[in-house]
Amino acid sequence: MSGEKKINIVLAGQGNTGKSSVFNFLTGLHQHTGNWAGKTIEKLEGTLYYRDYTVDVLDLPGIYSLTTLSVEEVISRDYIVTQKPDFVIDIIDSTNLERSLIFTLQLLELECPVIIALNMIDLAKKKGIEIYHGRLESILNVPVIPTVASRGRGLTDIIDKVIEQKENKPSFRPPGYGKEIEECISQLTSMMDGLDIPYPKRWLAIKLIEKDTDIIKLISRKAPEIAVKADELGKQLEEIHGHDSGLVIADERSHLAAQITREIVKMTPHRKMSMNERLDLITTHKFAGYLIMVLILGGMFLSVFSFGNWLSSALEPVFRGWHDWWNESIGITFLATIGWSAVEGVLALFQIALPYILPFYILLYILEDWGYIARISFLMDKFMHKMGIHGKGCISFIIGLGCNVPGCLSCRIMETKRERFITAVLVTLVPCSAVSVIVFGLVGKYVGLAWAFGLYIFAMIVLFIAGKLSSKLLLGEPVELIMHMPGYKTPHLRSIMVQTWDALKEFVYIAAPLVIISGVVIQAINLAGWMPAISSFLNPVTVSWLGLPSITGILLIFGILRKELILVMLAAYLGTAEFAEVLTESQMITLAVVSMFYVPCVATISVLWNEYGWKKTMVIVVAEILFAILLAGVVKRVLDLVL
Amino acid sequence: MKEEKDKISLAEMEDGRSGIIDSIAGGRNLVKRLADLGITRGAAIKMLRTTLFSGPVQVEVFGSRFVLGHGMASKIIVIPDER
Repeated sequence: MSGEKKINIVLAGQGNTGKSSVFNFLTGLHQHTGNWAGKTIEKLEGTLYYRDYTVDVLDLPGIYSLTTLSVEEVISRDYIVTQKPDFVIDIIDSTNLERSLIFTLQLLELECPVIIALNMIDLAKKKGIEIYHGRLESILNVPVIPTVASRGRGLTDIIDKVIEQKENKPSFRPPGYGKEIEECISQLTSMMDGLDIPYPKRWLAIKLIEKDTDIIKLISRKAPEIAVKADELGKQLEEIHGHDSGLVIADERSHLAAQITREIVKMTPHRKMSMNERLDLITTHKFAGYLIMVLILGGMFLSVFSFGNWLSSALEPVFRGWHDWWNESIGITFLATIGWSAVEGVLALFQIALPYILPFYILLYILEDWGYIARISFLMDKFMHKMGIHGKGCISFIIGLGCNVPGCLSCRIMETKRERFITAVLVTLVPCSAVSVIVFGLVGKYVGLAWAFGLYIFAMIVLFIAGKLSSKLLLGEPVELIMHMPGYKTPHLRSIMVQTWDALKEFVYIAAPLVIISGVVIQAINLAGWMPAISSFLNPVTVSWLGLPSITGILLIFGILRKELILVMLAAYLGTAEFAEVLTESQMITLAVVSMFYVPCVATISVLWNEYGWKKTMVIVVAEILFAILLAGVVKRVLDLVL
Repeated sequence: MKEEKDKISLAEMEDGRSGIIDSIAGGRNLVKRLADLGITRGAAIKMLRTTLFSGPVQVEVFGSRFVLGHGMASKIIVIPDER
């Protein structure tokens, strides 16, 4: 193969610029994900074979700036500086040129070879924004290529340009700022000769003036006199500009970005409001916005659940057929049964993934691609703040209603560790589709639908109180919402499919090992005949405190695997699906309450473990078991008075 | 020069009203983060939407739309344009 010619490029850009579309188009199926060393932040890499070249593509986490504020930003900046990729492809949202240019200027400060992709150029045209990209090229002295990533337009041009530039090394100069700032920068860089730090000197000087904590620490260690000088120069700048010198450069960048934008853009003002703008006004309206949100989300859940129930009952006989075949051909021995429980673990994953998670994700990503999810964060921000997290956390809750596993994974969108953790804990309290099967199959069917919905409201109240508590218990300032509001756009099938596939794959990979292992262990305990002993051991809790039949102890153990097993096994043990004959109404509600809160299922525990380590995970599990038992006991006593 | 009393916080601006950012009364991290989005001293800002019970606000700066938490909005001081 002629793949000896290697190029490595990284994709950088702010959120919502179509970066993942570019990545998916370029690397297609040759993608692999991993984590950044020591971080739970995903590292996306892929390979493109183009002409004679093997192009390694790395997708940097979506970032808003390169000033050290979040982990993602530090990762990106360190990668660019230390790994020295051949090219950084800066993906710019053409409809938000100015904001994107601020980021571009920061990239250029890092003195890496940049190629700019002016993405969503079609949308910009529609909005009446005409961009003279040739002018941008000559102002910044870097190649600029207009693209429409969602349709794959212009993306091979980027690679052509990469190859062309690789062969004849381009000259490079970072953009200049105001005279007095440049003066300070050159004074500082002149002191840095012989300094052994991988970052570019000019960039270090800029960061020192910006009072970047990490860089000041670094410099103070290696060459304290430079840090002192920077402080002194900062004070001088403060006198000239009349405000904090840390901000002078940020100001300067945004003014430069504004100036460049004026030079390269011709705006044709719109005569009337576009369809999408009107849509935006309605969907974020003080009252109508909430109504629309309830309708959209309600419709989404209704369709997912009716589809899911249909498909899962269609799959049931198929899997039972396989089980019969297994029993017939292998025989019913201890090992065969254990073996089957491993197979069942895999089947169980598909039984959740196909009917519920798959359609749920498809709809979710349609909403996301369309731009609606950001509106939900906006509408729900105030309410979520009462729980100590901001509006974006609402998205994790919504996902959690489908399945807690992707719900917990989605907490990565929260900015700080504290918020990620709070959100994840709360998500485990959100009733997922498996819990809904119990609530509706037991309480909804035999006690009444009103009671079933009542339980949901009850769950919301519990969630709210838990949120208040955990935000009080975990120290730290709540972070405020800063979010770019994307315009509505037509969802693209391709990116929806890719995102859905990735999410589904992640679910299976993370959940599979623990689900299979614990399935086998529990089955082994069952076959060894220890279950009755365990359930009578649990009698003080199940029978005396909760007033449930003794066998629920076994059910609750199986429920750790998948919560809907509680219902399935109940039918199996009792030999009837007519639960009203064996359970009183009060018992059904109590059982539903325990099932709702008692422990995250094994798959969810796997995610928590993966993201937050086993200590925190065990604390959550134990706390939730105790909480559920306490709560359900109280509920039972209240019900005994009422019913 | 504008009188002191003409300055209001972004959180107090009504829907549809625009103005120029006068100052941002926040810690350096916040101010920097906002500056990276183009929300900085001297920028023209337009209030698109406020929410009930002093929730977040939706604003437009240089043609981009952002959602800002209420606390943050109250730290951004604006000189509103004449009506």
